[in-house]
Amino acid sequence: MEWLSQQFGTRVIALMPVAIAVNIVLGYTVANVLKLPIYLDSIGTILVGVLAGPIAGALTGILSSLIWQVAIPGQSIGPFAPVAGVIGLLAGVWGYLGVYRRRPAEGGNLWLPVVIALGAIALLVLPIINNPAYNDPAFTVPWYSAAIIAVAVALGVGVVGMAYLRRDAAPAWVAVAGALTGVIAAICSAPIAAIVYGGVTGAGTDIIVAALRQGGADVFNAALGQGFFSDPIDKTITSFVVFIILAGMSRRLIARFPMGERAVGPEPA
Amino acid sequence: MSVEQALVLRGVRYRYAGADRFALDGVDLVVRPGEVVGVTGPSDAGKSTLCLVAAGLAPGTIAGVLEGSVTVDGIETRDQRPHEHAQQAGVLFQNPATQLSGTSRYVWEEVAFGPRNLGLPLGDVVARVEAALAALHIGHFGERDPARLSGGQGQLVALASVLAVGPRYLVLDEPTSQLDPQGTRLVGDALAGIADTGQTGIVLVEHKTDLLAALCSRVLVLGGGRGVREGPAAEVLADAGLHDLGVEPPSAVRLRARLAAAGVSVPEQAFAEAAA
Amino acid sequence: MIRGWTGPVSVFGAVLLTVVITGVGRRLVSFVVASLPLVISILLINTFIYPDATDALATVGPFTVTGTGLTVALQAALRVIAFALAIGVFVATTDLDDLLSDLERRGLGRRAEFVIGSAIRMVPRMVERAGEIVEAQRARGLDTEGRPWRRARGLVPLAGPMIGGALNDVEERTMALEARAFSAPARRTPIRRFPDSAAQRAARWGLGLLIVALTVATVGGWLNVP
Repeated sequence: MEWLSQQFGTRVIALMPVAIAVNIVLGYTVANVLKLPIYLDSIGTILVGVLAGPIAGALTGILSSLIWQVAIPGQSIGPFAPVAGVIGLLAGVWGYLGVYRRRPAEGGNLWLPVVIALGAIALLVLPIINNPAYNDPAFTVPWYSAAIIAVAVALGVGVVGMAYLRRDAAPAWVAVAGALTGVIAAICSAPIAAIVYGGVTGAGTDIIVAALRQGGADVFNAALGQGFFSDPIDKTITSFVVFIILAGMSRRLIARFPMGERAVGPEPA
Repeated sequence: MSVEQALVLRGVRYRYAGADRFALDGVDLVVRPGEVVGVTGPSDAGKSTLCLVAAGLAPGTIAGVLEGSVTVDGIETRDQRPHEHAQQAGVLFQNPATQLSGTSRYVWEEVAFGPRNLGLPLGDVVARVEAALAALHIGHFGERDPARLSGGQGQLVALASVLAVGPRYLVLDEPTSQLDPQGTRLVGDALAGIADTGQTGIVLVEHKTDLLAALCSRVLVLGGGRGVREGPAAEVLADAGLHDLGVEPPSAVRLRARLAAAGVSVPEQAFAEAAA
Repeated sequence: MIRGWTGPVSVFGAVLLTVVITGVGRRLVSFVVASLPLVISILLINTFIYPDATDALATVGPFTVTGTGLTVALQAALRVIAFALAIGVFVATTDLDDLLSDLERRGLGRRAEFVIGSAIRMVPRMVERAGEIVEAQRARGLDTEGRPWRRARGLVPLAGPMIGGALNDVEERTMALEARAFSAPARRTPIRRFPDSAAQRAARWGLGLLIVALTVATVGGWLNVP
C-alpha cells in the first residue's frame, strides 16, 4: 500500500498536470502545426512513469488521452487511453529496472552492450519489415521501404553517436526499451483502431494502412502493421527525449521523486 | 514553564540530500508576532534555504539533514506534518503564477483553497477568506479570474491564500523579485499593513534593501550560510561594510555616502524619516 | 464480417436527438469539421480497399468499390460522427469546473480533482504559448510547410523551453501546495451545491442501468441486434 500511496505524494501530484499538459500540447503541435509523421505525445507519461512509478505513469497516460479528447475538438485519441496507460506502466518498469541510469564505459565495455542492443532492435524490427504486404507489387508506396531503412539507420547512428559522445552505454538500453514499448503499444492499439475506427485514424499514416490492405492484410493486420511502423520509431525518439531531460535535471531534484533515485542511480562518488 | 511566543531558529545547519556542504551553517533567528525581521545577503548565502527551514518545508518536503532546532511557539517543526506546520508558519515565494493553485475560476475560490483543504466548516472558510482579502484590501478582487491578474495583484492573492490557512508567522522569499516597481509597492504596503496589526511575525528575505529599510525593525545579513551581521535595521543597513558583504545598501544610504564624499553633510534624522 | 445497421443508426439517432433537445447544434460545427479528415479517410480507404470483399459494385482504375467496404465505411463514419457529437454535447453543456466540484462533493479525492482541474486549465494556455513559439520560429525562417526534416527542426526550440519551464515550476508548486495544507487528512470542504432534481437522478440511474442491461443482454445472446 505504501508503495502505491507514495506514488501520489504532493510532488507527484504537482508534476502530473504539467506532464499531462506537455503530452497534449506537444502532441497536438507536432501533429497539427508541424505536421510530422510521429506523435511525441507521451513524453510526460514516460517521465512520470520513470520518476514516480508505474501506476502514476499509467494514470498520467490515461488522463492525458481523456482530457485531450475533451479539450481539443475532433481528435481520435480518447479510445486509445488504455494504450497510453500501458505506455506509462511500462515506463515505470523501465525506470525500476534502471534503463535510464547513466552507464559510463569505455572500449569493449561500451561497445559490447551497444552491439547487443542494436542486435536486439534488429531482431525486433526485421520480422516487421519483412511483412510480405509491404512488397506487394500491386500497391507499393515508393518511398516506403526507403523510409523504413532510413529511419532504422538514423536510429542506429543516433545510438552509436550518443554512446560515443557521452562514453555511456545507457543510450543502447534506452533505445531497446523505447522500441519494445513501441511494439507493445502497437499491439494494444491495433484492436482499438480496428474496432472503433475500422482501422484508420485520419492521420497521414493512413496511407500505410491502405498499402497494407492492398497487399492483402485484413483490417486488424493492416492497423497492426501501421502501428509496427510508427510506434517503435516514435517511442524510441520519446525515450531519448526523456533520457536527455533526465540528464539535464539536477540529481537533487530527481532524487525527491519516489522512484527518482532508483531511475537515475545513486550520486556518482 | 512559559513557552516563548516566537519563531525561533537556534544553531540551525542544513545540508540538502546529495549535497556535500551545509547550505546553512549555524544560523540563529528570533521573530516575535508583530515584528518584521529582514534577511539579506549575496546569492548563495543561504537565504532561500533559510526560508524553507523556517517554513518547515525542509527537511519534510525538501529532503536533507537539519541540525539545531526550529520551533514555532515552542513546537519543534520536525515533529509536525506539512499541513500542521502550514497553520503556524506560511511561506510566500517569488513567482505568483506557480503559487496559485490554477484550479480556481475566481480569486475568492483560490483563497479558499487552503481553508477547504483543512476541511473547516463552510462558515469558517468564508470568514477566513473574507478576513484574508480584507487584511490586504483586495476584497474587490473576489470575483476576478486569478489567471488574469498583474504580477503584484497575483502576489497579493497568493499572500491572501497563505494567510487564510491561519499562520502566526509569515516567511517571504523575495516576494517582489519578479514584480515591477508598482507591484513592489503594492506588496510592500500590504506587508506593512499586516505587521501593523501586531498579530503576525514576518521574516522578509530580500535583496532589495530599500524594502527592508522601509519595513523591518531588525535585519540579519547572511554570508556563506552564517549570520554575519545582525541588529536594528537602521544600523545594519547603514553599515559601511555592507557593500563588501555583497549587499547593495539602500538608496538613501548610498545617496548620503555620495553627498558626504562631495562634502555635503545631511543630518541623520532626515534619513531616518525618509526610510520610515 | 459486416455488422448490422441497428447499432450505428440508433447511437447516431440518440446523439442527434440530444443535440436537438439541448439546442447546442451551432456550437458543434467545429467538432464535426474537426473530425472530417478522419471521416474522409474512413470512407475512402474502406470503400475502395476492403480486405477479402468480393461484392464489387464498380471499378475505378486499380481500385474496386465493394458493397462490404461501403457498408463498413458508412457504419464507421456514423459511429465516429456520433462520437464527435457526443463529446461536443458534453463540452457544450457541461462546465468542467462545476462537474469537478460536484464529483468532489460526491467523494472524488482532492488529488484527482487537482490533477484534472489544473491540467484542463493549463492546456489552452500552453497551446497558445506553443503557437506563439512556432510563429516566432516561422518569422525567423522556420518552414512549417516544407519537408519533414525541415519541420522537425522546429521541435527543438519548441519542446526545450516548454518542458524545461514546466519542470522548473514543479518544485515551487509542490511547496506552495504544502503551504496551503494540501496534504491535510480531512475531507475538503465543499463550497458549491448544484440543484439535482429527482427526475435527473432517476434519469441518470435509468440510463446507467440501461447500459448495463443492454450490454449483458447482447453479450449473453438474449438480445440479437441486427
